[in-house]
Amino acid sequence: MINPITGRVHTNYMQTVAATGRLSSNNPNLQNIPIRTLRGKEIRKAFIPRSEEFTILSSDYSQVELRIIAALSNDENMCEAFMHGEDIHKATAAKVFGVPIAEVTKDMRSKAKAVNFGIIYGQGAFGLAQNLGISRGEAKEIIDSYFRQFSGLKTYQQLTIENARKNGYIETIRGRRRYLADINSANAVVRGFAERNAINAPIQGSAADIIKVAMIDIHKEMTHQKLQSKMMMQVHDELVFDVHHSEVDIVRAIVSEKMSGAEKMRVPLVVDMNTGNNWLEAH
Amino acid sequence: MISKESDKKLFLLDAYALIFRAYYAFIKNPRINSKGLNTSAMFGFTNVLLDILKNEKPSHMAVVFDPHEDTFRVDEFPEYKANREETPEDIKLAFPYIVRIIEAMNIPVYQISKFEADDVIGTLAKRAEEHGFLTYMMTSDKDYGQLVSDNIFIYRPGRGGNEADILGVPEVCEKFGIERVEQVIDILGMMGDAVDNIPGIPGIGEKTATKLAQEFGSVEGLLANTDKLKGKQKENVENNKEIALLSKRLATIVVDAPVPFEEEKLKVQSVNKELIREVFEELEFRTILKRVIGDSPAPFEGKQGELFAPDEVESAAEKEANPASQLKTIQDVPHQYHLVKSDEEIDVLIKKLMTSSVFCFDTETSDIEPINADLVGMSFSIQAGEAWYVAVPKEKDAAMLLVKKFEPLFTDPQKELIAQNYKYDFKMLRKYGIEVQNRVFDTMVAHYLINPDGKHGMDFLSEVYLKYSPISIDTLIGKKGKTQGSMADLNPEEISD
Repeated sequence: MINPITGRVHTNYMQTVAATGRLSSNNPNLQNIPIRTLRGKEIRKAFIPRSEEFTILSSDYSQVELRIIAALSNDENMCEAFMHGEDIHKATAAKVFGVPIAEVTKDMRSKAKAVNFGIIYGQGAFGLAQNLGISRGEAKEIIDSYFRQFSGLKTYQQLTIENARKNGYIETIRGRRRYLADINSANAVVRGFAERNAINAPIQGSAADIIKVAMIDIHKEMTHQKLQSKMMMQVHDELVFDVHHSEVDIVRAIVSEKMSGAEKMRVPLVVDMNTGNNWLEAH
Repeated sequence: MISKESDKKLFLLDAYALIFRAYYAFIKNPRINSKGLNTSAMFGFTNVLLDILKNEKPSHMAVVFDPHEDTFRVDEFPEYKANREETPEDIKLAFPYIVRIIEAMNIPVYQISKFEADDVIGTLAKRAEEHGFLTYMMTSDKDYGQLVSDNIFIYRPGRGGNEADILGVPEVCEKFGIERVEQVIDILGMMGDAVDNIPGIPGIGEKTATKLAQEFGSVEGLLANTDKLKGKQKENVENNKEIALLSKRLATIVVDAPVPFEEEKLKVQSVNKELIREVFEELEFRTILKRVIGDSPAPFEGKQGELFAPDEVESAAEKEANPASQLKTIQDVPHQYHLVKSDEEIDVLIKKLMTSSVFCFDTETSDIEPINADLVGMSFSIQAGEAWYVAVPKEKDAAMLLVKKFEPLFTDPQKELIAQNYKYDFKMLRKYGIEVQNRVFDTMVAHYLINPDGKHGMDFLSEVYLKYSPISIDTLIGKKGKTQGSMADLNPEEISD
C-alpha cells in the first residue's frame, strides 16, 4: 500500500458509498483502526508528520451526535446540560437515577452513557440489557426513567418515525434525504430495522453534513492563507492535520472556528484538539 | 467439499428458510435494482444454489416449498404457527422470481398440499436412503435434527465465507445433549417452540427439557414417571400431559408425506440458458449471469480512469450481444464523435468549447489511482450526440503543453463542468498543472444525493436514465482514439430528475 512515488500510504475517500452520508475510506481503510486496543495504538503511532518541521494535530467533535439529537429534539434538559458544559453522561445519570450530580457513581454514569448511545441508535430495552449485562426489566426501568426526564427526546423520536412513515424518507440537518422503503412494512422485524434507521440516519447523517461543511471551510481558509500545513484525514468526527510548527496556532484557530461554527444550533459544537509526534499522541 | 463420498449425492433445499435467511443477510444494505425492486432474496438464494452446485457437486437435487394453504398440523392445532409475522413484502415479491430461477436451472420444485417442507424433505430423505443416497438437507431449522442418520445430514450454509456446517448423528446429539436423534422431538415437545407456536409444558425451557430427556428418555417416559418429579414441575407436567403429547406430535416431522420419489427427475441437469438469461436480466444480475452461462468472466482490470467500484463496472458486453435487451447502444444512437489530432483542430475545439456555458468532461488515464496515472486522453461534449476526444501524448512535457492549452476553459468560474466522479478528473488535471475553477456538477454525487442507497456508476446511470448502454470498458481498452461518448449524452436535467 505504500506508494512507490511518495513513499507514503494514501487512503481513498469515497463520497458515494455510505448511505448515511458519511465518507468511507479504503486502500487502506483509515476509519476503522481501533482506538483502545494495543494493536490499534501501534498503528496510530505509525502516522507521523512529513518531517521534523511538522507536527500532527488532531481535532475531534465532542459528543457531536448527542448534541445533534439534543438540538434536533430541542429537549430542555439535554440542551441545558450541554449549554452549561456539564459532563453529559453524569448529568444524564443524575436525572435518570434522581440523585445530585455529586452523588453519581461510576456505575450510574456508565449506565447513563449506554442509554445515551442507545438513544442514537434507536435501541430498546433488549439491546440495552444486552449491552450492560442487566435484566430486561431493569433496562426497561432505566429507559422509562430516561424518557420521563428527557421527554423531548421521546416526542422527537415518535415524530421522526411518523414523518418517515408519511414521507418515505428522513432528512438531515442540511436537508439531505435518505429513503426508507421498509418503514411501512407489515413485517415487524423489517419495519423495526427501518425505524431504527429513521432514528439513527438523521443523527449520523447530520454529523456527516457538519464535518463536511467544516472541512470545506477549513480547506478554503488554509488555501487562502497559503499555509504549508495540510488536512490529512477524516475519521468521522475527527480531522487530522500535518501542521508546520510555525503554523500551529494559526491552524488551531482556523480548525476550532470552522469546526465549531459549521452549524448554528441551540447547543454548542465543542472540539477537542491536540498535537503530537504521531496520531496516537495527538488524539 | 463434503468428505464422505458416494456417487449418489442428494441435496434437498428448504426454500423458505433459505430465502428468509438470504433476505435478512442483506437487510442493512439491501440490493435494489434500477426498477426499485429489492433483489436481496433472489441474489442470496441464487448464490446459495450456485455455491452448492460448484462446491458440493451433488448428483441429485430438489427445492422444497411450504404450501400456500394451512397444513395438517393446523387442522390438528389451530394455533400452530398462528403467531407468525406477516411475510415481508419484498420476500413475497421475490417468490415468483426464485421459482423461475430454480426452474431455469432445471431443478425440480416440490410443494405438497397440506405438508410442510420439513415433511416433504423428511420423506424424500428417508426414501433416498433406501435407494443408497447420501442426503444433505439444506436448512437453518434446528427441527431437522430428528431426521439425521448415517446417510442423512443437515447442511447449514456457511456465513460470510465460512465453510458450511454439516451435522450428522454425533453432532446433533452433542448439540442437543441427547443419545438418539429422535429425542430432538421429545425436547421440542417438552419445551415447545415459540417460533412455531408449539405450546410445550409450562415452565420447561431448553435446559430442563434436555435434562428430562436425558433422565426419562422421551416425553412418554416423562409422563409415566411423574412421581419422580417434585413441586411445581410435577404439577405442571401432570396437568399438561395432553399438551405435551400434542406438542410432540406437532414437532414430529412426517416421513411418509404423499410425495413420489423419482430418482430420474432429481438428477442435476444443465441450465436452460435462455430462461436463466431472461430472469437474471430482469433482476439485473449481470455478474451472476456470466458465472452461470459460463463466459468465464474476466475480472475487471482498472486500466482506465473511470474509477467506479468494480461491481458498478460490470460490463455491458453481454447486453450488446443480446438482441432482447431494451437498451440502446452506440449502434442505434446517432452520434458524431470526433477524434481531435492536429494543433489546428485543437484550437478550433477550444474555441468551440469556450462558447458554451456548460461542458461535459472526462479523462481517460492509465491507472485507477490518480497518483499513479498518466493522462491518455480527454473527452469533451457540449451537446447530446456530439463529442470530441483528444489523445494526450505519452511524453510528459508534450502532454503538459497540450493540456495547458485547455486551461482557459477550466479556469473560467462562469462555466459549469459536468463530470462523473469529478474528484478523479480534478486530481488528474491538477497533476497536469490545472486548478479547476469552474462550477462543478458531478453526476455521481448528484445521484447519491437523490438515492443514497443505490448504485451510482456511470454505466448504471446511463442505463437507468438514458436507456443507453455504453460501450464496455473491456472492449475499449487498448483502443485509443475512440471515446465512449455516453458523457456526451449526460445532461444535468435528465440526471437530476
